[in-house]
Amino acid sequence: MSHRHSIFCILPPHMLDQIAQNGTTAQRDMAVKTLASSKQVRDNRLNMLTAAMSGTFAVTGTKQRTIYDAKFGTTLPGTVVRREGDAPTQDVAVNEAYDYCGATFDLYSAVFGRNSIDNRGMDLKSTVHYDKGYDNAFWNGQQMVYGDGDEDMPVAQRLFNRFTISLDVIGHELTHGVTQYEAGLVYQNQQGALNEAVSDIFGSLVKQYQRGQTADAADWIIGEGLFTSNVRGVGIRSMKAPGTAYNDPVLGKDPQPAHMKDYITTTQDNGGVHINSGIVNHAFYVTAINIGGYAWEKTGQIWYKSLTEKFTSISNFQNAADLTFQAAGEIFGIGSLEQVAVKTGWTEVGINVDSTPSPIPLPGGEGCLKGLMRSLGLVK
Amino acid sequence: MMQIHFERTGGFMGRNIALDLDLSSLPPDQAAALKLLVDESDFFNLTELRPENPMPDGFVYSITVETETNKHTIHASELKFPQRLRPLLNDLLSRTRTR
Ligand SMILES: [Zn+2]
Repeated sequence: MSHRHSIFCILPPHMLDQIAQNGTTAQRDMAVKTLASSKQVRDNRLNMLTAAMSGTFAVTGTKQRTIYDAKFGTTLPGTVVRREGDAPTQDVAVNEAYDYCGATFDLYSAVFGRNSIDNRGMDLKSTVHYDKGYDNAFWNGQQMVYGDGDEDMPVAQRLFNRFTISLDVIGHELTHGVTQYEAGLVYQNQQGALNEAVSDIFGSLVKQYQRGQTADAADWIIGEGLFTSNVRGVGIRSMKAPGTAYNDPVLGKDPQPAHMKDYITTTQDNGGVHINSGIVNHAFYVTAINIGGYAWEKTGQIWYKSLTEKFTSISNFQNAADLTFQAAGEIFGIGSLEQVAVKTGWTEVGINVDSTPSPIPLPGGEGCLKGLMRSLGLVK
Repeated sequence: MMQIHFERTGGFMGRNIALDLDLSSLPPDQAAALKLLVDESDFFNLTELRPENPMPDGFVYSITVETETNKHTIHASELKFPQRLRPLLNDLLSRTRTR
């Protein structure tokens, strides 16, 4: 899933540079490959190059959207029904997928200077009308996929509308692509819940940005409009008040916790990735409210920097807390209002920021440096 | 005797769905139809699939069929789900969606 070499973790690029210059041929090759696979280094260099060439910092491009129709089957991607620049079709799902995908691209481009999912202008592919009675949307590693909810049932029995109906759902799915190309967060347990939270966070920011809403004016609901009027609920998740989005006789109650003391340990849903994400979602919400104004401007910047430059594939909640705190300090200054707000956000959900984060161990308990040295053949 | 345990986990909502069916307690025509779907999928000869990397928001399905002589489980994501098991999957899914 992750394109990033696992040994990169938190090893400073200058050490890799050192090896690249002074190691044996095999060691150099490995170090160069590792350096090249680091988005951080690559983007810094790209940004420097672009800044030198044009005098601007942001790297933006034009969007290339293609919408496919699975015609209620499960073959991906399906038949092309709308390409970039084509006029709207008669099909509302096609137009929503097109427009909301565009709105998501625009937020990433205008606010974060990002050129599409991979920051290299990747084509944005979406398939609508996936399967029959399909109450879901997903990212398959290459594209976004949307079902039509309970379209095959009598209206009085339907619980779900089409999944393209909600702008933040589309922002959520596209962000799974961004995460895949950046931190590459493992989709399991706390790493998976952080991956989920990142998708909810940027999904919500897309909606707030499009509506021009400040943090205190936004509803912070994920999946607004997905439920039909037969369901007692306002959406799938609430970042403002996790656990309160729905309470329905058929669907049950929103199971999200808002605090570490209610963290749910389970083997279902890859370790409860859609449940425990509520904790991180809420930390983001509290930070955004305390900073005030438009959430994408400051809190969004802190998280974008963290996602693209700091998080690794195995970052857990504590690590995310420490690294977002660090990122806020780098952008707004040590002890700044913004950095304090990040700390307060995490405290509110039961996580105390450690201002001097310790290195995260590699999976299997191997230290980062040792893992690197092993990969380079320097130790056995 | 035939018992079927069906489970779906994951998805955008992360809501788990489980269904237990004892064919002997179903109307005979329904039990016969389900048994036919199991037989047609050649269920007990389907090989266990290798674990995959989880796909963001994707569903993962698990079907266990138990008879007097056999017990077998197939566990797979929706994209890797065996095609010949689709008719049985669709039947089980539709049962979980009946309100
Ligand atoms: Zn997701």
